[in-house]
Order: sequence, then C-alpha cells, then structure tokens
Amino acid sequence: MSPGSGARGRVAIVGHGHSQVWRHAPRALGAVAVDTARAAIEDAGLKPSDIDGFVTAPLFPTAGAHTVEDGVSTVTAQWLADHLGAAARYAAGFQGIGQLPGAVALAVGAIVSGAADHVLLHRALHNPPGRYHGNPMRTAGGAQQWTAPQGYFGPLPMIALPYNEYLQRHGARREAMATVVAEARKNGARIPWSYWYGKPLSPDDYLSAPMISDPVCRYDCDLPVDGVAAFVLTSAERARDLPHRPVHIAGCASAAPPRHRLPLHWPLDDIMAAGTGLVGRLWEAAGVRPGEVDLPQLYDGFSPFVYFWLEALGLCPIGEAHRFVQDGRIDSDLPGGLPVLSGGGALGNGRMHGVPQMLECYLQLSGRAGPRQRARATVGVACQSSPHFGGAVVYTAEPT
Amino acid sequence: MTAPRPRPAEPKPAERHAAEPRPAASGAVPPVEGRPLPVPDAVSAAYWDAAARHVLTTARCARCRAFAVPPDQVCPACGSSDPGFAFEEVSGRGVVRSWTVVRQSNLAGFAADVPFYLVDVELVEQPELRMIGRLLDGAAAGPRLGAPVAVAFEDVAPGVAVPAFRLAGTP
Ligand SMILES: [Zn+2]
Repeated sequence: MSPGSGARGRVAIVGHGHSQVWRHAPRALGAVAVDTARAAIEDAGLKPSDIDGFVTAPLFPTAGAHTVEDGVSTVTAQWLADHLGAAARYAAGFQGIGQLPGAVALAVGAIVSGAADHVLLHRALHNPPGRYHGNPMRTAGGAQQWTAPQGYFGPLPMIALPYNEYLQRHGARREAMATVVAEARKNGARIPWSYWYGKPLSPDDYLSAPMISDPVCRYDCDLPVDGVAAFVLTSAERARDLPHRPVHIAGCASAAPPRHRLPLHWPLDDIMAAGTGLVGRLWEAAGVRPGEVDLPQLYDGFSPFVYFWLEALGLCPIGEAHRFVQDGRIDSDLPGGLPVLSGGGALGNGRMHGVPQMLECYLQLSGRAGPRQRARATVGVACQSSPHFGGAVVYTAEPT
Repeated sequence: MTAPRPRPAEPKPAERHAAEPRPAASGAVPPVEGRPLPVPDAVSAAYWDAAARHVLTTARCARCRAFAVPPDQVCPACGSSDPGFAFEEVSGRGVVRSWTVVRQSNLAGFAADVPFYLVDVELVEQPELRMIGRLLDGAAAGPRLGAPVAVAFEDVAPGVAVPAFRLAGTP
C-alpha cells in the first residue's frame, strides 16, 4: 500500500450548500453558517440529527488588527455543532494553511476511524468593517520585529516577491496574467452566488489597473467577502444509499514544513521545491497519474499561485506557465481547454479560500454542474494556498 | 540575463516624479513619524543594539555555526534544541534575489513613505541566507536580479536604526 493511500476512495462527498457571497453579509456569519449547513444536510438527504461530526478550518486570515469572535468573524466546528443542535461526537478544526484540504483530511480520518459517521465540513469567511489588512501598529515585537520595521508586512509584498522572482527568472511579462484573471472572472460571472456574478473582467481592464505592490495589482488579489460553504461527507458504503451521486476522496496531501524564513518570506525556490514534494505525495496517496486529471482546479487567491500550481502539478514545464495559459489553453469553454478555473476560483467568487476549487470538483464529478457541466469529468484536483504551505485533494467520480 | 523587468505602465510626465520610489530617510534625516519600531527581546536585543551602531549582525548557532534569519527556538540547520544563538557581525554584502515596489502599505505608519522598494537579499555569508530590507537608493536605476548590494541603515528614532540596503557601487 503506498504512503497516504489507507483511506483511498473510502469517503465521499454526498451533498453541499453555499451561501450568497457578499462584501458584507446582512446577518451574522454564524447565522449564515447555520442556514448553509442546514441546506447542505438537506441536499445530502439527511437530517441534522444524522450529523455526528463537524470539521472546519477556522482561520480568519487578516493581517489587520481585527477581533476574532466565534460566530461573528469566524465559525468554529464546535460553535456550528452547538448552534445546529446536533449531537456531535466529533468536532475539530484544522489549524494549518491549506485550510480546506486540511479539513478534508480531518473529516476522512474521523469517518474511517469511526469517530463520526456523517461529517459536516464547513468554511466561513468574513470581511470585517474597515480595511481588511490595514494595521496601525506603532511597535513590532516577536516575529514581526524582523520585517515590519522596514515595511515588509501583509500578503501583497509577500506574493509580489516570488512573483517578481518568477517574472525575472523566466523572462515572463505581467501582461501574460491577464488571461488567467479574465478566465477566473468569466467563470465567476456565471455563478449566481458569486460576488462577481454578472461582472466579468476584460484583459484590458486588468492591464489598466495600477500597481499596489509591483508586479501585483488589485485584480491579482481575491476580494475579501462574507460567505459560507458546507459539504456533507460520509463513508463510500453509506453514500450509496443517499440521493446524489457521491464524489470520492482518492487522496490528500498537505505541505511539509517549508524552509525556515522570515515571516511571510516565500522565495520562489521554496515554493516550487516543497510544492513538488507535496504533489508527489498527492499522486502516491491518490493512485492517479497527472495525465488522468481532467479537472485540475488551481488555487488563485493571488493570481501567481496559478502559475506555481500549474508547474508543481506537472501540467506544464517549470517556467512555462506564463506561456501555457495563453491561446485558449485554459479556456474552459473550448473543447481542448484545460479547465483550471472553471469554478471561478477565488478571483471569480471572492475570498472563499479553497471552496470554489472543492465545490467545482464536487459539482462536476457528481454531474451537478448545471449549464457548465463538462462532458468528461472523472478525476479532479482541488488546490489551496501556496504549493509550499497549502494542500491539495484528488477527487474521483468512481471509488477507485 | 536579459529578462524584461516588470515595469508598470509609464506614468504620465506630470506624475512621473510622484510615481517613482522615493529615497528613504537615512543618516541625518529627521526621525520618521509613525513607523512601527522594533521591540527588542532577550534574544534580539544584541541585534538591535548593533543596528543602532550601524552594524549588521546575524544570529549564529553555537553548535553548528550556521547562520539563521531569524533565530528560532531550534536551529534550522542542525536541529539543536539548545542552539545558543549569538549575533555576529556580517559583511552586509549580498545580491538581489527579488524586489517589489510598495505603493500602498498595510502599515499605516508607512503612508508617507510610499512608494518604496523592498529587496529580497541573499547575504554572501551562507547560501540561501536571505533578508528583506528597503532599498534606500531605489529611485535611481532600480534593482535587477543578482545586483550586488551593501547594508545601509535608516535612523528611525533616537537610538533605533533599521537595516536596509544600497546598490553596491553607488555613492
Ligand atoms: Zn545549528
């Protein structure tokens, strides 16, 4: 048995729910989470009393000086279990980066171990009033003393450094990214709950935006939003008796600890070295080869991640992603296009972290993607975060 | 290496000056208002004391002699849980591995400083020993991959100086 393959195909997604995505929700995040959880449970053909496991990753990923309050700015697994009135035998939160793949692994473990039979996995994202990452700090202690005094702070310089390193090393131009961002926004504009519903972005709009932290402009970044998604997971055996076609979890991989660095310092070589390791473990755990993947949903919370994942997953050679994405090769509307952002991603939905990638894998592989249902969708990969900090999950239509 | 640099669209002539990264305060320039000041702790006090004297130091493991930026509870190189990190003076020389121009800062205290360059520098003392600092003379030519740099210091408050860099060979 290959490493990581012990639960291959033994757990499946059997239902889902997704709230509207708002800039600011009209109700508290916890209330939205309860509604979304109820919708997912009903979608799975179950009752709240059937749910005995709750899993999430509760991170509120802001660099700003915002309060973290359960039910308001974050929703933990225990909070949701309590407020849904369910008799939870298991409630757990993943605390690493790559929140959804990490939470999926917790859910798989709970089900395979028998700690829970039916697990509700949710992710609740919050956009606080005021500036999301803005911080008035006048002193910097602890880890931040090494970076904040010189103005290295927040995620934009964090992603700008490896992105510029990529452009310089591979002779790429930032103009090449226009096709990536336009593809995400084209697909997101068709998703009714997306913040960007009906609002595609043209390559010209992208290219006319001013720099924020060169070579990153606002359209390279997902927009902070309020929104909740929930999925119901259970064993492959139990899934057979539920109304929708189950989508099986073939394998998960989370990033190994990267090289010791300054806070938020992500050199390109660190990203690609650890990302290549992650992807090798992913294929081994899932028992699939890269060529079998027909639905690689790449993470795009910052647009350069699309290049990094394309190359780490082996979908194109190192240094070639900026050329690979041109000429319709990632256009999900074209028969030959590789659907890397067909679910709209974070750039096309709002800052829902890995939700759009996981949801697109579920909807396509269960045959529930509606107007954008693809003729062939058998093996999906949902990525989240940077390849060196995040994670990825392989989903299959068949139990493998 | 002839890779094109990622340049923003050229600013209009009237805006050109404002859009270029500004030289940062250094030397005798009055203290900068509002920037976050480092809070030295038991480990880092020696680093900030040296910086105040415009001396760059880097934490070095007493067991394996490897440098670490920043120091950690366990040595990242040898795994010692008793690394006895001490700050030793380093040359301050290195090469540019990447850079960005910060035009909007999430730190309110840098509002008056934007736009400014930040450079990702690999120090000569050890492969992959990397620091991030402002490029004080960035408005001139701009950095390129592999450009040699030397440490410089910004005096940001009485007795507080923050390490930064200058392109080597520039006055
Ligand atoms: Zn050591």
